[in-house]
Amino acid sequence: MTAAAKFLEVKEMRKAYGAIKAVDGVTMSVGPGEIVGVIGPNGSGKTTLFNSILGQIKPTSGAVEFCGEDVTGMSPLELARRGVGRTFQTLQVFGKLSVRDNLIVAAQEFKGSLPGRLIAKPDAGLGERADEMIDLFRLQHVAGALAGTLSYGQQKLIDIAMAFMAAPRLVLLDEPCAGVNPSLVDQLRELLVELNRSQGGSFVVIEHNMDFVMKLCPHVICMVEGKVLAEGPPAAVQANRQVLEAYLGN
Amino acid sequence: MKRSRALALVAMLVALAVLPNFLKSYGVYLMTLFCVYLMATMGLNLTVGYAGQMSLGHAAFLGIGAYHAAILMKLGWPFLAVLPVAAVVCFAVGLALGFPALRVQHHYLAFATLGFNILVYLVMRNEEKVTGGTFGISGIPRPSLFGFSLDGSLAFFYFTFGSVLLLGLVLWGLLRSPWGRAFAALRDNPIRAESLGINITAYTLLAFAIGAACAGIGGVYFAALVQFIEPSPFNVAASLTMLLAIIVGGSGRFFGPVLGTVVVVLLPEWLRFMQNWYLAVFGFAVVALMVWLPGGLLSIPIPKRFGKRAGK
Repeated sequence: MTAAAKFLEVKEMRKAYGAIKAVDGVTMSVGPGEIVGVIGPNGSGKTTLFNSILGQIKPTSGAVEFCGEDVTGMSPLELARRGVGRTFQTLQVFGKLSVRDNLIVAAQEFKGSLPGRLIAKPDAGLGERADEMIDLFRLQHVAGALAGTLSYGQQKLIDIAMAFMAAPRLVLLDEPCAGVNPSLVDQLRELLVELNRSQGGSFVVIEHNMDFVMKLCPHVICMVEGKVLAEGPPAAVQANRQVLEAYLGN
Repeated sequence: MKRSRALALVAMLVALAVLPNFLKSYGVYLMTLFCVYLMATMGLNLTVGYAGQMSLGHAAFLGIGAYHAAILMKLGWPFLAVLPVAAVVCFAVGLALGFPALRVQHHYLAFATLGFNILVYLVMRNEEKVTGGTFGISGIPRPSLFGFSLDGSLAFFYFTFGSVLLLGLVLWGLLRSPWGRAFAALRDNPIRAESLGINITAYTLLAFAIGAACAGIGGVYFAALVQFIEPSPFNVAASLTMLLAIIVGGSGRFFGPVLGTVVVVLLPEWLRFMQNWYLAVFGFAVVALMVWLPGGLLSIPIPKRFGKRAGK
């Protein structure tokens, strides 16, 4: 990837908890519209890397650049305003809001000013967009239900739909397939491909489901013990001897 | 709103409006006090129930509003000029009280707000030159509106009743706006909310400030109702009573404070026929409610058959 094409750049990122180096000098980059997969065994530092990029935790050292701007240490709020969305490893929907309200609240803060939203229409002008996402994620039959009353799989879809509601330029997805049944995994992959095509954003996906990662991501990074062990096209990473020994097995 | 709920709401409002005509003056006073407390508990419901913050200092705002009313109205300020002043002052103090909520949550926040209530109570008690100390301030005039005197207890009840309805409508609109949804997101999951661009700092402070302003408005009506104020109605016990009203009625439900305020303001009076036992029975009833209805009175499931009949 050329320097000009770089969209997200992570430089020598380190995060240590005492003597434990959770992330140890990770450098990676993501281009516009690119889908990058991050794989690695549990405890290899993938989620810590995400949290360091997204301002959820303060990195020990290193830098993050987004669209040429240094965003190191910026709060999740500031990053969200710059068009960076995310999902979490565990379900993070608003259980006492309806599915439709979950989607609207995921984008309403990007419409108008804070005082303006007090007198705005209840749906903040996002009703149509929410309905589009509900259709795309096939949630029509539960659109009015409280999110907390739905099945795990349905909540997972809401969680992911929320991250895309404001059409962010970059989305970091932390284990989108965790706890999801196999038929939904294929649906999820198709949805991400469709969103990548229609919205044009870049995605970084942490995932343990190799089939999902290999089919979705043209570029894969494998992390082990806080470091990047290998990266490249999925087939090459999958065939890498060190990756096989440390993570995938034979 | 479903038709059955709308009918129930209209019936309740009509009953509340008509009832005082059949009551003696103490009964009318209690109904007016209910409306005053309802202003404060509706505000507290926004802070605690909708935005998920904790406050054990809400009575302090009722007191700040009441003392502003007492001092300014005795200086000759008209009631309608005192109202916005008290609301703005309480809004500003509420904003300041919201700052600890940005650092701590749950029981830590509870004690921070409790400390605030104690501080305000001590100021009211000890700053005699301004507040009259334990002797309080007496002779607070009842307001008159466009030349129409509200001295009579029934007239003042209807004025307060109309005002609480208006405040309820304003809060209803606020909670239906995108702000209401942002408050709910803040309550359910602040980390996720922030990742979606919701300014949790602003909404946390606003939740405290708006709740405080409602209590401040209630305080102005309180001063005009009792016409004599001293610090004790604004102590920590009063804050706990308000929190109890929210939880008993149904925290985070719009009509929760209405039922809860009935329980904490009117129920003890209805139980007075039990003489020495009335507070013990009240205490037992509250314990029973907490054990069997932790979601509050509004969490009582309505039988489907009844719901269908009412909806016809």
